[in-house]
Amino acid sequence: MVLETELLPFREWLLWGPFVWLLVMGSLAVAGLFFGSLVAVIRHGPAAGLAATGRVLAAAVGDLFCMSPRRVWALAWLAVKDSLRRRVVVVFIVFLLLLLFAGWFLDPSSDHPLRLYISFVLTATSYLVLLLMLFLSALSLPNDLKNKTLHTVVTKPVRPSEIVLGRMLGFVVLGTTLLALMSAISYVFVVRGLAHSHEVVQASLAAVDPRQDADQGAVPLRGESTRVNGHRHDVRIDRKGQGLLEMTQDHYHRVARRQDGEKTVYEVGQPEGMLVARVPVYGKLRFMDSQRHVAERGTNVGDEWAYRSYIQGGSLAAGVWSFEGVTPTAFSDNLQLEMTLGVFRTYKGDIEQGVAGVLLLRNPKTGLTVEAKVFKSREFSTDVHRLPRKITPTAAYALQPEKDPDGRIKYVRKPLGADAKAQYDLFDDLTDDGQLEVWLQCLDPEQYFGVAQPDLYLRARDASFALNFVKGYFGIWMQMVLVIGFGVMFSTFLTGPVAMLATVGMLIGGFFRGYMIELALGQTWGGGPVESLIRILTQDNVVSDLPEGIRTTVAQTVDSVLQRGLWVVAQLLPSFGDYDCASYVAYGFNVPGNWIAERGLTALGFAVALFVVGYFFLKTREVAR
Amino acid sequence: MPNDVIIETRNLTKVYRDFWGRQKVRALKALDLEVRRGEIFGLLGPNGSGKTTTIKLILGLLFPTSGQVLCFGRDATDVTKNERIGYLPEESYLYKFLSAEETLDFYGRLFKMSRRLRRQRTSELINLVGLQGAKKRQLREYSKGMTRRIGLAQALINDPELILLDEPTTGLDPLGIRDMKQMILDLREQGKTVVMCSHRLDDVEDVCDRIAILYDGELKELGRVDSLLKVRDVTEIHARGLSEKTQQEIRQLIQREGGELVAMGNPTMTLEQLFLDIIAESEAHPGRRVVRKEGAA
Ligand SMILES: Nc1ncnc2c1ncn2[C@@H]1O[C@H](COP(=O)(O)OP(=O)(O)O)[C@@H](O)[C@H]1O
Ligand SMILES: [Mg+2]
Repeated sequence: MVLETELLPFREWLLWGPFVWLLVMGSLAVAGLFFGSLVAVIRHGPAAGLAATGRVLAAAVGDLFCMSPRRVWALAWLAVKDSLRRRVVVVFIVFLLLLLFAGWFLDPSSDHPLRLYISFVLTATSYLVLLLMLFLSALSLPNDLKNKTLHTVVTKPVRPSEIVLGRMLGFVVLGTTLLALMSAISYVFVVRGLAHSHEVVQASLAAVDPRQDADQGAVPLRGESTRVNGHRHDVRIDRKGQGLLEMTQDHYHRVARRQDGEKTVYEVGQPEGMLVARVPVYGKLRFMDSQRHVAERGTNVGDEWAYRSYIQGGSLAAGVWSFEGVTPTAFSDNLQLEMTLGVFRTYKGDIEQGVAGVLLLRNPKTGLTVEAKVFKSREFSTDVHRLPRKITPTAAYALQPEKDPDGRIKYVRKPLGADAKAQYDLFDDLTDDGQLEVWLQCLDPEQYFGVAQPDLYLRARDASFALNFVKGYFGIWMQMVLVIGFGVMFSTFLTGPVAMLATVGMLIGGFFRGYMIELALGQTWGGGPVESLIRILTQDNVVSDLPEGIRTTVAQTVDSVLQRGLWVVAQLLPSFGDYDCASYVAYGFNVPGNWIAERGLTALGFAVALFVVGYFFLKTREVAR
Repeated sequence: MPNDVIIETRNLTKVYRDFWGRQKVRALKALDLEVRRGEIFGLLGPNGSGKTTTIKLILGLLFPTSGQVLCFGRDATDVTKNERIGYLPEESYLYKFLSAEETLDFYGRLFKMSRRLRRQRTSELINLVGLQGAKKRQLREYSKGMTRRIGLAQALINDPELILLDEPTTGLDPLGIRDMKQMILDLREQGKTVVMCSHRLDDVEDVCDRIAILYDGELKELGRVDSLLKVRDVTEIHARGLSEKTQQEIRQLIQREGGELVAMGNPTMTLEQLFLDIIAESEAHPGRRVVRKEGAA
């Protein structure tokens, strides 16, 4: 997976995420106060209008902070009861039918069956649940107002905030239950759908070494399995009769030989390696130039896609990844390192041969560095290197940073002297407090390795697939919370169908959020709206500066105000796609904890904001109109 | 005692506007009312005269265009006042997918009521309104009369001090009407304050202590039912045991004033007559009518 935008570590995110939230809430509050009092002043005149605004604000404090859980719960119960009456069950039956007929659409002979199955169940669930929640949440309050059933509720000591929260909570509870049921059924569906076994075609078995006789037994064998689900495996069996049906379609099977009287039986197990949640540990990448000076970036080879930076071969230039959390508990006693390198050749050489490189491991605290592995890089594929815990290096030395006379930092190679050992322990010698550096050098002169930060990662112990599956549903759950939040919020002041449209509009708007933020931050050509308009009218191009003068100053000042507004508006849109982690699950990667935490908190932030806004709309409207 | 005033409206005006803020209907014009503790107060008026509007303003379901409503001395939009209020809407707007028991339990949960208290109140009220046989059935299956009853039960779930009933007798059969009236009178016995509105004269005449007659959003009459029905410009005298001399003096007095004695005393007229008079007069002279000061009779 190419990750162009990296996920911030949770602690860094915590520095600005809540700040953005407060900023947006603040702007909303100011705008709301302004327009609210404007409307009140127009309706009732200045004095009475401002007094009314004051009263609403005073009441809001009590309404928002003194809600009664009992009442909120009673109202949530009502929302659930009401929804159940609306045949939520039908959606559930549709879901079951979909799964039932899915066998017809899902091609088990696909190269990546897990991706197919996972994206199918997650997509089916999310469409059904989100659509259902859109209808329920947007139609429920308007329906209550139309039937006037809300009259008997608001004439009890019920705060408007409790009504809004009760609705939201009720739908969330209902949706959560539905999702939980669906995820359990989907899990069984995926696991059962992918389960299969093969038989070993005994006639195909032959000794690996042509000089040995396969019928003798006790020699390594190779052969083929039967074709099931549109694929077959190569079979390898060792001397003792244990072996594998080798990796095809992202999985392998174990096989064991057993003697049943006269007959030889090969027992093949269920697919393995398919339902996984890989845990990549990403590091921070920095570069060393050909003299091992610390450099901003690697060499620029003129590649247009600035994603990768290049390491010059045959020199001391290196890409250095600093990792954290490399501990024996997170890694099971060895270090699995996976990398996808871009190779840039200045001469063609032997294209089959691959470009040689070396991996160094360095303890950032002590500076101890070992040459762990020399390798030939294959292009366009992921190389997997397994380094054992006990490493016997081709060379070991210390790399220590020193300051040059001109003030630059340079890493200098020092002999180890008395500290030298024949064998180094990965965790005891090379990591310090879980910190480890991996240095990548290119050995072939005139050739280059292209690397980006996510290109090289360590693979920690796999996480639980079932849990990862649940995380995939958690992504849908967050989307559902957003839909409910917007639906209920809009339905406090719009009629049902309009509220539904508005919710859909917000979700679609969310897709343009990135572009709007770019516009707001002035990262696009041609300036802000007014400046662009001037350019359109004068048929000016978008790159040249406007002529200096009062006109341009005014235009750009107005633009900067508009751009701030646009920024706030963009923040109000949920970037719906961000909550989708189906591809993580489908590609067999663990959904990272910080993803869950950051997205979860963002969704919560939205939910709180929508609740408050919905409250104010309901509070200031006449229920009996 | 000011504490005895439960509801007070001052110059209360309501104008219904459409979406664009254009005026549609002036439903209530400068209403001044006081409802006192322990009385049954009737709002009387033909359809569309602003009775429901008044009740909704008192409850905070609508916001006044100008003027003010105080209920228990608090602003109508203050939800905490609802702890002491029960409301039976014009039609019982209840959730049709709940049964009678679930309905009462749900509304009970909106108050500070323990589960035990809710159970107890629920069964008491179901007995009171006579729905024992149908308490497990969904309200969608209820007849109009049964819906009215469960509506009343719902209004009483919190044992309120003030009960607002909007047309409590519509949709009930004569027996039901009699029961409803009796229940309202019982509520007064328990020291509760009742405000009811109706377009039916007999309802009001039978149960209300004081009434306000509304016509086209304006207050036309306000006072005790018995005093309102007195015809003030006629005196009726029935006397016994007067001496011949006294009688002679009275007759002479009347004769001297140019009158003719028929009988002595204040006759009463029917409420219907009063009502029709007011309507006729309002149509002849639109605008505010001077409401007689109470007790001036
Ligand atoms: N929601 C509303 N929008 C516009 N006009 C209304 C609305 N509700 C009531 N009205 C009007 O206000 C007047 C008073 O209505 P209402 O208070 O319901 O009368 P009553 O309860 O005495 O029959 C009527 O003319 C009615 O048409
Ligand atoms: Mg009415």
